Amino acid sequence: MRSLVVAVVMVVVCGCPGVGPQPTDGGADAGESTGAYCDPLPVSPENVASCQPLSTDYTPRTANSSTDGWPACISDGNVFMPIAPNISSIARVTAFQDMAALLWRQGPAPSPQDFLDARVAYAVDQGLDSRVQRREDVHYAAAPMPCSTAGIPEQFPDRCAGPSRLLPVLNDAFARGAMGDEPRTQAARIEAALVWFFYLSSLSEVSSCTTRPQDCDSSWAYYAGGTPRDQPLGLGQMIRALGPETHDRIYDATLAVRCWRNLDNETGVATDLARRDLALAQLDRALIRGVALIIRQVLTELGCSTGDVRDAQMAFLNTLAPWFDRAARERDPARADVLKVELNRPWAWELNVPAAVAALDALFPCP
Amino acid sequence: MSWVALSLALMAALPTADAGLPFETTVSGASEAVGAERASSEVRRAELDRRLPRSTPDALAFEPGVFIQQTAHGQASAYVRGLTGQQTVLVFDGVRLNTSTWRQGPNQYAFTLDAATLERLEVLRGGASTRFGSDALGGVIAATPLEAPVADGQVLVRPQLTLKGTTADKESGGRVSVSGTAGPVGFIGGVGLRRVGLLESAGPVRSPLDGSVALVPRLADDGRTQLGTGFNELTADGRITLRPAAAHELTVASQAYRQFDAPRTDQCAPPFARADECLTYREQFRTLTWAKWKVHLEGALEQLELTASWQRQHEVREGARPASFVLTTGRDVVDTLGGSARLRTRELALGRGVKLSLEGGVDSYFDLVDSQAFVSFTDLGAVVQQPRGQYVAGSTSLTGGLWADALLELTSRVRVRAGGRLGWASLTSPGEARSGTQPLVAGWVPLAAHAGVEWNVVGPLSLLGNVDRSFRAPNLDDLTSRQQTGPGFQFENASLRPETALTTELGVKLRFEGLSLEGWAFQTWLHDAMVKAPRDVADCPPGTAQCNASWFRYQLVNVAGASQLRGAEAVAKARLPLGFGARVTASYAWGAGPEGVPLSRVPPANGTVELSWRHEFGFTGAAALGWAGPQTRLAVADLSDARIPLGGTPGSAVVDLRASLRVSHALVSVVLENLLDSPWRAHGSSINGAGRGVMVLVSFY
Repeated sequence: MRSLVVAVVMVVVCGCPGVGPQPTDGGADAGESTGAYCDPLPVSPENVASCQPLSTDYTPRTANSSTDGWPACISDGNVFMPIAPNISSIARVTAFQDMAALLWRQGPAPSPQDFLDARVAYAVDQGLDSRVQRREDVHYAAAPMPCSTAGIPEQFPDRCAGPSRLLPVLNDAFARGAMGDEPRTQAARIEAALVWFFYLSSLSEVSSCTTRPQDCDSSWAYYAGGTPRDQPLGLGQMIRALGPETHDRIYDATLAVRCWRNLDNETGVATDLARRDLALAQLDRALIRGVALIIRQVLTELGCSTGDVRDAQMAFLNTLAPWFDRAARERDPARADVLKVELNRPWAWELNVPAAVAALDALFPCP
Repeated sequence: MSWVALSLALMAALPTADAGLPFETTVSGASEAVGAERASSEVRRAELDRRLPRSTPDALAFEPGVFIQQTAHGQASAYVRGLTGQQTVLVFDGVRLNTSTWRQGPNQYAFTLDAATLERLEVLRGGASTRFGSDALGGVIAATPLEAPVADGQVLVRPQLTLKGTTADKESGGRVSVSGTAGPVGFIGGVGLRRVGLLESAGPVRSPLDGSVALVPRLADDGRTQLGTGFNELTADGRITLRPAAAHELTVASQAYRQFDAPRTDQCAPPFARADECLTYREQFRTLTWAKWKVHLEGALEQLELTASWQRQHEVREGARPASFVLTTGRDVVDTLGGSARLRTRELALGRGVKLSLEGGVDSYFDLVDSQAFVSFTDLGAVVQQPRGQYVAGSTSLTGGLWADALLELTSRVRVRAGGRLGWASLTSPGEARSGTQPLVAGWVPLAAHAGVEWNVVGPLSLLGNVDRSFRAPNLDDLTSRQQTGPGFQFENASLRPETALTTELGVKLRFEGLSLEGWAFQTWLHDAMVKAPRDVADCPPGTAQCNASWFRYQLVNVAGASQLRGAEAVAKARLPLGFGARVTASYAWGAGPEGVPLSRVPPANGTVELSWRHEFGFTGAAALGWAGPQTRLAVADLSDARIPLGGTPGSAVVDLRASLRVSHALVSVVLENLLDSPWRAHGSSINGAGRGVMVLVSFY
């Protein structure tokens, strides 16, 4: 109270308003790079010829869904028809693209100013940060209160993955990157956290779409930026570059979600939760395979990248490893153990790339 | 005798001023600001001391046709006939306070008038642009400060100490003031300070549709205390009046309002966001310095009044996301230079009992705006300046006009008044390349006019009729702002045109010994009304990721066709035997756009009942009921506004008990507010009204 009185008296006496923030310069010099990317990048053509959709899957690319078990619906034309005219999630994918250009696209190591600029894009009101803070992992039982409630993220860290798992990584990486501390590594941690954010978001929006129809649009947009099948952005762009069929299967699943909502009281509360869960399972299966492809690619690049580029790739793997483990363990605990050990190794030279890749391929063979 | 002289400021508010009726609130204002032929009312100092309002807008809560909305505990806005904020005019001692950055809908600026420094508050309902210029569509709130005392030839000084406390929001504060006179100079000045804590309500307000609890405000674990409330406040004012000669009076005055750390309740925390997120008005400052020279003239001309003013409106908003170490800061400063001249004639006899009075003037206000925005990362101490603020730094606005009014007394029973204004409004705003902001140059010459008649049909019965055309020219907020509003992100529209209001009103006044009744009915047609129109992501201006990322986007547009507001107000006052008195008000407003869609946040039917008892020894007791019906007529923007519960705002009734005792040189007032502890919320507000509590004021003078 005393400090308040002193402050306000000063303000009144001086007649001068409070001094506001003064801009700071983050430093535009690119970080000094000690490593190099693979040249050329290793390419692993996707081979999923033996993979077949499940009988319960929605398959719009096959005779416009006429051969699957789904009734005719709005998605049968193999095009996503948004429920609402505007999808705010697209802006968050755009921010991700902007951050990628600043932080982890190939080139010089990002400068402290790049980190500041990227963090500004991340921190936009209603932007990525606002959603990271409330993102839930629908694989875990719901908390008794929303994850935005004080104390809930600490009590339910698995469910409240955004505030409990992703946010600390992002905060730390942004701060250290802006201080010039291993910039490529910090960029990779940010990238990994946001890849997982988009994976979680695409699924959680299906869940919330039960009561908010437009959230089905968000599920689609979080995956590929609200773009046509052959022009994905964000996570969809990353996955399509590594596994076109996996990307298509994910896209099919987003259409399945839309189909479910079209069939299930599109403007109101959905009641056909069985069909919703079919679509959600199809999406989850394909999406986690897509994330697995990203991890696989990073693993294979470890063999030819050097220096801080390789350190960054290890940081990417180390960041994703604990979150990815649930899906792996759900499929095969033994292989999950192998993968966990390899992805958590601190140094690239310790990592058994063939073993990790083999475990990944075995765990996630099909989208 | 000397004490009497020193007490002039307070004495002006004592019961002798209100024709023997039990309330200082008069049915029709009779001051210079408001003509008696218009729908108006007035609250005086003594009544404020008994009601103990939390703010200047709150002081109007018992006035007909007025409805108080609060977006935050430290903000309040008066709806007058269904319109508020930039569609009404706020005047302080004749100085226009509206600036070019007043936003659409409720705003906080009336809160920056310290109610402890006011001698009276007048509300003129209905359009009044002829006299008050742009924005006077719904009405005018005119505040008059305590006057410096007059006691020629004597040197007198009189201190006053006032302390106030409440239980519902743990307010503690007070004011120290000194008034006096020395020869031809009178002075009054003081300093006020108060600290206001979290506001305790009577519990959650629920949706009339499904019983769900409104998304805002967030309540503490007790289910009553509202998070995102509380603030600190410091005020200072000084006023010197010099009367160098009998015909001259020069007043130089200044007042400063400093509010600190006032959370915007609906954004603290925002719906769905983490509990620790909060948008706070770190600084809400207003400084007004003005000088007024009154000259009493000879002959046909009665009085000339010249006023010059400087106002600085300063605010710093901080949006904190502690979990991410993110702080977004907006800082806006508006400097306004104003000037006005007003000339009034005496009654001029035109023969056969016909009398004519003329009044006219010119006024102009020039705004210069500075606006900046920053994003800070508190873990790094890093600050990144944004390309532009909510407004564009260097923007200017000029508004004013030339006006004239004539009052013609045709007979002792019929009076006619008419007048008009030639207005001007011009605005400039520089372009800003990085944010894709286009430069703006705009200007208009809007016209206003009014005419009215008052017919004293017979003794106690008078009929009144008025027609008024008022206007509101788009301001910098309409034309250039980018901001997150309650319903969504709003961005600029440089092609807006002025909106105009054509109001017709009919009134009836009945005055008997000890009883007065007054009723008004009005119809307003708003042409080219500026309303929020939903926009697509593709419409967002460049460089506004916030726009793209928001769930809803809006732009102000002129609506083709006429929007309508209609309604009625009534007030009755009675002086009953044994010192008892009663006052009852009732108000109703209905608003719709050209296609019948409800206008946003039009208040529900509402009213008040006050029963009082006064003892000649200086004791006054009263019971007061404020009630409001449910409001379920919602505009499109209201549907996405978290301030409004799903489906609308439920009705409410709140009972207060008041007691005050004035003895010798002391005043003690006690209010038991919300005696029945009823959960309630004014429609459109972010906060629920106070729960059961006690307010106490003690004043020594």
